Amino acid sequence: MSLAEHEYRALEEVVGAEYITRDPVILDTYNQVWGNKLVFGEKFSPRPAAVLLPGSTEEAQAIVKTCNRYGIPFKPFSSGFEITALGIVSERTIMLDLKRMDRILEIDVKNMHAVVEPYVSVHKLQLEAAKYGLYYGVVAAGPSAGVIASACCHAGSGQTNCSAGAIERNVLGVEWVLPTGDVIKLGSAASGDGWFSAEGPGIGLRGVLRGHCGANGGHGIVTKASVKLYPWYGPAELERAGEIPALRAATEVPYNFRTFIVTFPIQDNAFDAMVEIGKAEIAYSCYQIPVPPGGYLGEGNDEMWAFMQQLDPKMMESPGAMVVVVLGANSDREMEYREKYFHMIREKYGGLLIPEMNNPAVQAGLFDASMFSYGSVRHVFRLTTDFFINPCGDATTTDFLKNLHKVARETMEPYWENGSILQVGSAIFHSMYENYSVGAHHEDMYLYDPFDAESLEGTNELIGKTMDTNGKFRRFGVPCLGAGLQFEPVHHTHQNWSPLYDNYDVWLRKIKAALDPNNVGDWGCYVPPVFP
Amino acid sequence: MAIEAYKHDMLRCTRCSYCKWIPWENFRNTDFIKGCPSVSRYHWHAYSAGGKFNMALSFLEGRIGYSDSFLDVVYKCHMDGSCDVSCKSVQDIEPLQLMQELRIKCVEDGQVIPAHAAVIDGLRKEDNMLGKPRSERGKWAEGLAVKDLTREKAKVLYHAGCQYSYDEELWPVVRDGLTLLKDAGVDVGIMGHAEMCCGGRAYELGYKDDLDKYAARHANIVKASGVETIVTPCAHCYQTMKVNYDKIGKKLGVEILHITEYLDRLIKEGRIKLNKKVPLKVTYHDPCHLGRLAEPWVHWDGKETKVLGQMIVHDPPKKFRRGAGGVYDIPRDIIRNIPGLSFVEMYRIRACGWCCGGGGGVKEAYPDFAIWTARERIREARAVGADAIVSACPSCKQMFQEAIKETGDDVKVLDIIELVQQSV
Ligand SMILES: Cc1cc2nc3c(=O)[nH]c(=O)nc-3n(C[C@H](O)[C@H](O)[C@H](O)COP(=O)(O)OP(=O)(O)OC[C@H]3O[C@@H](n4cnc5c(N)ncnc54)[C@H](O)[C@@H]3O)c2cc1C
Ligand code: SF4
Ligand code: SF4
Repeated sequence: MSLAEHEYRALEEVVGAEYITRDPVILDTYNQVWGNKLVFGEKFSPRPAAVLLPGSTEEAQAIVKTCNRYGIPFKPFSSGFEITALGIVSERTIMLDLKRMDRILEIDVKNMHAVVEPYVSVHKLQLEAAKYGLYYGVVAAGPSAGVIASACCHAGSGQTNCSAGAIERNVLGVEWVLPTGDVIKLGSAASGDGWFSAEGPGIGLRGVLRGHCGANGGHGIVTKASVKLYPWYGPAELERAGEIPALRAATEVPYNFRTFIVTFPIQDNAFDAMVEIGKAEIAYSCYQIPVPPGGYLGEGNDEMWAFMQQLDPKMMESPGAMVVVVLGANSDREMEYREKYFHMIREKYGGLLIPEMNNPAVQAGLFDASMFSYGSVRHVFRLTTDFFINPCGDATTTDFLKNLHKVARETMEPYWENGSILQVGSAIFHSMYENYSVGAHHEDMYLYDPFDAESLEGTNELIGKTMDTNGKFRRFGVPCLGAGLQFEPVHHTHQNWSPLYDNYDVWLRKIKAALDPNNVGDWGCYVPPVFP
Repeated sequence: MAIEAYKHDMLRCTRCSYCKWIPWENFRNTDFIKGCPSVSRYHWHAYSAGGKFNMALSFLEGRIGYSDSFLDVVYKCHMDGSCDVSCKSVQDIEPLQLMQELRIKCVEDGQVIPAHAAVIDGLRKEDNMLGKPRSERGKWAEGLAVKDLTREKAKVLYHAGCQYSYDEELWPVVRDGLTLLKDAGVDVGIMGHAEMCCGGRAYELGYKDDLDKYAARHANIVKASGVETIVTPCAHCYQTMKVNYDKIGKKLGVEILHITEYLDRLIKEGRIKLNKKVPLKVTYHDPCHLGRLAEPWVHWDGKETKVLGQMIVHDPPKKFRRGAGGVYDIPRDIIRNIPGLSFVEMYRIRACGWCCGGGGGVKEAYPDFAIWTARERIREARAVGADAIVSACPSCKQMFQEAIKETGDDVKVLDIIELVQQSV
């Protein structure tokens, strides 16, 4: 549904003709993203009515005010690597591509935080922070994820959550264009005293801003945010080698770090060991991720497959439960203590350091992957085209996650065996938040090919089981698909599951209605004030 | 291959946007991490490689048709392949080949832009990309006492290329190149007025038949002249003869060398001695056509298949061209061997180099965009403290010179031939 001429002109007046388009040629590049085929049945999701490229908070605000005046839904995003960024409920929705707002505004070294605009990627901030001996926690989505997108608007977990904070908890303040067009600041930034505290002086609406899974653009636009930085023990720039980018990696693990890939005999031991490592507060990074056999993803699938074929078949058949541990320390003595403690725990739970998985090249590669999330996109997309996850557990106890994992594995196994889904290596992404003090994030992942009829059918059937309100996942809470591939008009997650869980949607919808009285913040990946 | 052949890739483009940047593993300075000039300048996703996959799919499905903006997106692109390297750091798909086929499709359907049509008219009349008289082609070599291969025999053909043949500002460079070879005792000759375009730029614009035509004509030249080696100072001619002729099944069957490769050989054999000091702080700009685009063509005729249920592999295995096989070390070796010179690298180098602005027909159709791209490279050269930016391609030199004319920057713009000449 297109915009009326006067509506379009009003929007054009805000950004100028160069930064608005309703040309179908351009618009059809804003509705194609991985996962679409699974959710929408084709590569295309609804085409937006227009796309705008605001260059400032003032422009973003003026756009939102215009949307309120004419009842135009809007959807902001940063890098746009998600259905949640491009999935919209109506073809009358306009999109705000925030690409032009790409500055790191401040790195406050003394107070260890940075203030950024929406199109600043995690890796860009990491490289700048490293110059000052600081680090910003990585998102498992990869180096391209927007700092603001993952900290303020979407989910937010990654490989270094144990020492560099649960990503959502790293937000120290935001500048927020509400869906009404009012601009507010949260935390100490509201009082004009700097961006150092999320809770004030000034209003502290961090929970309302994003809840746990994020409002996914349904709550207005975050135009600036301050995020916490953590100590970095490595050099400002790592030595890397390799002509082919896919094979390029750190030449070695930097001096003040150690990397280990530990293989536990069974998954429960891995869980228990991670909990103890958390309690001991010794790890810079400690998590499970599907590490491929031999730790080698290759430059392409053919090279990876050739490598896998010459491995000891035992490594392929029973990869064991692999945990990646990175230790970081300020001094040799501190490192000595951490290493000793780590090995004690490892041995207690029967963790092995298999030589093939712990040669210097694999360790350096895993160090890169742990700190900067290089390779995650390579792994989850190149192999089969798309990935998906079973309902994940988040910020919750280990016992809960152990049970969830067992059910997830049982449910996945038949599809694994009949070849409709694939996982190379173990199928777990598990990352502790702040040394387990606020639980952990857990996903059971799998890869599938949406353009292969059998794979798509199997995947859909599997998802049907996990989303069944009377199924095996019923007792594990609302099925959060990483918040990534959840589109309310298709999945009806909130609508179907809320009655099982205290009718939480009533509050969710009340908040949405209060913040967005004209319902202009596109709710496709969030919740409508009233279910249609 | 028609665009339909890339539907698989269109469907599998994830919108990760890696094609907008140099590969993340290659980031060094956050001020110089962009990889795609087109999307950096025009912002809309369509202008990236991923956007072109999306656009092509939409086109194939009949959701959009040709329009001015369609052509704008297709042609405001340098075809430099930075996107291709970045995409293939995570994917097994072919963005640059799709973009090439999109252009071919546009031309086949008569969807051309006037600036390119004019260039092609000139080419078809005068056998060069500048529309200059054919009879003036050999003028650059006047007074050089070199063998004329239309009448004499030599082992090596020195192919100047269109740009060097007609751009008088560049004549000193192309002449120096030939002089270096002659002085080293190389049995070399030129085709003079009978030299003609390689057809590479026309192909890049989408005019596939012109590549076929010039490949065939060059096969005749090789046969008639009996040369064993073709040496060219033009990176684009080099890439065309070495890679594209092979791609279309018209390999010339003789050794194809860029002049840097030949000079390097002569230096190593002691036939060129770099004696004189050149007290300059220089940086080296990798020409796209000598670097990532010059990776040898890989013929593959097979099918996609699956292992482990859903893992996509190829039978026989397919070796993707990921940019690592370009000519990167040789020019650097030459530069480093020049006494008195200090060499400093920029941040986006080798397979991850930023384009000079000269490629893809942008210079001809959208000169302001071409200059914008060149200026960005000069900015990078300055950021690493270089007094001179050295390249190995006439297009790069011309673009950088145009750019500094606009900015007033006094950075020196040199071809590697000039550096060598100053040092012998
Ligand atoms: C391979 C892969 C793995 C992933 N793994 C994880 C993981 O382990 N943990 C995790 O937390 N996430 C994960 N994700 C999701 C990931 O966090 C998000 O994709 C990430 O934030 C993407 O950043 P982006 O800049 O592309 O965000 P976008 O896709 O641009 O936006 C994400 C959401 O935030 C909204 N948004 C973005 N910017 C703004 C803004 N300024 N104001 C208001 N709303 C905004 C968008 O509307 C959208 O709903 C994964 C994604 C992928 C593709
Ligand atoms: S073309 Fe490649 S790099 Fe670009 S968005 Fe598509 S998959 Fe990603
Ligand atoms: S060839 Fe160059 S300009 Fe064109 S899309 Fe790729 S990186 Fe961008």
